[in-house]
Amino acid sequence: MKRMNLFLVAILSLSFSLSSCSIQTGVMSDNRFVIDLIVKMNQGDYWNTLRSGAEAAAKEFNVKLQFLAPNYEDDISGQIELVNQSIQNRPDAVILAASDYMGLAQVTDRIAYHNIPIISIDSEVGSARVKTYVGTNNYEAGQLAAKRMIGLIHKSGQIAVMNFVQAAKNASQREEGFQDYVARFPNVRVVDIQYSQSNQRNAEEITRRWLAQYPSLDGIVALNAESSIGVGREIQRSGKGGKVKVIAFDSPPETMGLLQDGVVQALILQNPFNNGYLAVKNAVDIIEGRNVPERMDTGIKLIDLDNMLWPENQKLLIPFVK
Amino acid sequence: MVNTKSIQFIIAKTFIFITVAAVCIVSIMLYNKFSNTAEKNADLNIQQVVEQVNYNLEIYVKNMTSIFDVVQDLIRKSSSVTNPILIEQLKSIMKTREDLISIALFTKQGKLVFNTPELPMRSNTQLERQSWFEAAMERPDQLSFSSPHIQNLFKTTYKWAVSISKQASYRAGAGQPDQGVLVIDMNFKTINELSKQVSFGKRGYIYIIDSIGNIVYHPQQQLIYAGLKYENLERVLTYAYGSFQDNTNDESKLITIKTVNPIGWKVVGVAYRDEIVTAKSELNTFILWFLVIIILFVLLVSIIVSARISQPIQNLAKLAKSIGKGDFTVPITTIGIYEVDQLSNRFNMMLRQIRQLMDQIIVEQEAKRKSELDVLQAQINPHFLYNTLNSVIRLAERGETREAVTAITSLSRFFRISLSKGKNIITVKEEIEHVRHYLIIQTIRYKRKFRYTIDIQDEALDCMTMKLILQPIVENAIVHGIEMMQEEGMITITAAIVEDKLMLQVTDNGLGMPPQILKSLLTKQVRSERGSGVGVKNVHDRIQLCYGQGYGLEFESELEEGTTVIIWLPIVRNEREDE
Repeated sequence: MKRMNLFLVAILSLSFSLSSCSIQTGVMSDNRFVIDLIVKMNQGDYWNTLRSGAEAAAKEFNVKLQFLAPNYEDDISGQIELVNQSIQNRPDAVILAASDYMGLAQVTDRIAYHNIPIISIDSEVGSARVKTYVGTNNYEAGQLAAKRMIGLIHKSGQIAVMNFVQAAKNASQREEGFQDYVARFPNVRVVDIQYSQSNQRNAEEITRRWLAQYPSLDGIVALNAESSIGVGREIQRSGKGGKVKVIAFDSPPETMGLLQDGVVQALILQNPFNNGYLAVKNAVDIIEGRNVPERMDTGIKLIDLDNMLWPENQKLLIPFVK
Repeated sequence: MVNTKSIQFIIAKTFIFITVAAVCIVSIMLYNKFSNTAEKNADLNIQQVVEQVNYNLEIYVKNMTSIFDVVQDLIRKSSSVTNPILIEQLKSIMKTREDLISIALFTKQGKLVFNTPELPMRSNTQLERQSWFEAAMERPDQLSFSSPHIQNLFKTTYKWAVSISKQASYRAGAGQPDQGVLVIDMNFKTINELSKQVSFGKRGYIYIIDSIGNIVYHPQQQLIYAGLKYENLERVLTYAYGSFQDNTNDESKLITIKTVNPIGWKVVGVAYRDEIVTAKSELNTFILWFLVIIILFVLLVSIIVSARISQPIQNLAKLAKSIGKGDFTVPITTIGIYEVDQLSNRFNMMLRQIRQLMDQIIVEQEAKRKSELDVLQAQINPHFLYNTLNSVIRLAERGETREAVTAITSLSRFFRISLSKGKNIITVKEEIEHVRHYLIIQTIRYKRKFRYTIDIQDEALDCMTMKLILQPIVENAIVHGIEMMQEEGMITITAAIVEDKLMLQVTDNGLGMPPQILKSLLTKQVRSERGSGVGVKNVHDRIQLCYGQGYGLEFESELEEGTTVIIWLPIVRNEREDE
């Protein structure tokens, strides 16, 4: 009988310890995955916005995000170096905005060789191993810019194009879209295409030369954020605001100011925040074995003075609430 | 291989069933009670939190309203808007409030009168088309809070702001006061701080919208602005106060709404059902484990208890089975339980008795068989026949024809009664007849060495008796009592009814017996070589077997005086002959 009592006590204590175990819930674990985000440049509103979108997703999906970027957008070898570094850290996925379509192709294959899924963002890279592309339809963006410029100069005149990095896929796609559209108008002449290397000073310099070289220049199309600021600044300084029409890309506050001041006539708005967010989300989906679409177009929008204060456009222009 | 009708199974089954049922019922009741309370508490808690945020916001709005009033008052009382005192005062108000972006006064035509901080205007502001300006123009006396919008008036960074506006009177210089539009822009800092801390569970949150559904605060405001996340505002906007279940996106959410007065903003609490009921699911797992353990425990206990109860009974049953097969030697050991012990004690006692009875029966049966055999033998005693026939031959040789005839006649009668058609029970009369013929033969054999008398009561004559009980005794009397005597012997046979018993008595005046022989007569099997072979003990045993312990033989004897043998029998009337 004694033994039996002992036995009962044992069972009871066992049951209590079991039940107390079952009540404990799991504590917050460490980040589930490490994702490397490698972009073209570590400065500029466009990239900052993209980064904050990626960080918002990283927070939401409990991912450790490593942001890697060279100082300048034309530093192709620097970016390749960063990708190589990243491969050594063996992240769970790599998100890459390639500064050079072909230049980054080989190193992208290397990423894939190590069984690390690779997601292309902003601009594509010449590798078949990329799982998905998240970003703007750049060809359409170029066409949209051209369409508005043609409208602004009433289908005739001289226009110059301020591109950014020659070998970048998004740059060439925008230029292509632009050229294809403009080609329909025989009275419109593209006098020059220059590359600012995503450097505002370069853009200002080139614009200054253009103004001197082509006194009857009717319009300039700047194909990315940095180029836009440079062009806008120089036009404003020259006092030719309104006379030389400017189509800009993206919405740094300075560009918006230029738009309000009438220097820039329209902005082609991409969605960098969404690019960053969706790229990380897709990366998580791929890591966890879910299917993702081959391309994810985050959309473009043309903003001008008339529609800039529409509530939905306000949200796109300034996605941050500070 | 469990026998479903065994006591152990029935006890275990009942015990388990009752306990499990009871535990289940109690668990379910507890669970319902608990989970209801938990849910109610959670709902109440959410409501209180939303109410608190709402209350704080109302206070904040009141604050802003009073600041606006103060600013308006200052402007109205000031002699001129360019008065440096006024500007200083406004600047100090700005300094004390981190959530103020700017204070500005416009003419009704949208021209800037002054602003603090003093920043140049941007061009193309389209301020006349902005909601705060329109509201002030439409409702001059009413303070209006605008929807969140980008402040694009001054050359500074673009910021999201809520504009508070109303018409205000001011003096541009000396002269009549003018009416203008006073606007104070505030950022979301305080609102964010009021709302940020609030959370329900891990994922629940609150957000704030204005009266037409623009998001003022949301923990994922950027994602919402970027169009990556949505709030289902349609239904929220129909509520001013209250709560409802939102089951879109496969997730059950509890939406709680409060309206901020007087500006019509709404504080919306979003709590995830599965998180509200975490307590419930925890309770669930706990109760599940509890049940499993209780059931295991009950199973164990009931098996042990039922085994303890049923084991002795099973043992008993097993023993009974082997006894049924004829094995009476197994002893029953007793263990534990009182009732079962009692049972096995009785059982043991019974078993012992059965054993004894069986032994007794065996012995008795044996004796009976033997005595019957003896009687059978006695019926046709060849020795006696031979002796008698010898005597007759001698009589015939001597020419004593009469004697010979008597002897033959008696022999014939003797045997006839001996056999008596196989019957065992005959009348006393016949038995006396039998012994008389025997005596006749013996007197002829022994040449009148003895005489005999027979004295029978009339009542005794009809009584029934076993046959061949007198003859062996008379034979004994002759052989052991009279044969060795010098003088003439005398044998007396009487039959009478004494004390409701039939008493047959055989008395001789022979040698008698010493007491030790007398005692051993009924215990030892004394077999005389010359007699009929039917011993005295045999007679005694037969009587007792047939009629019971109360009957049988008695002896009285004295050396040189003689022996008396008394036979006691029950009085049994001759019924068969009556029929």
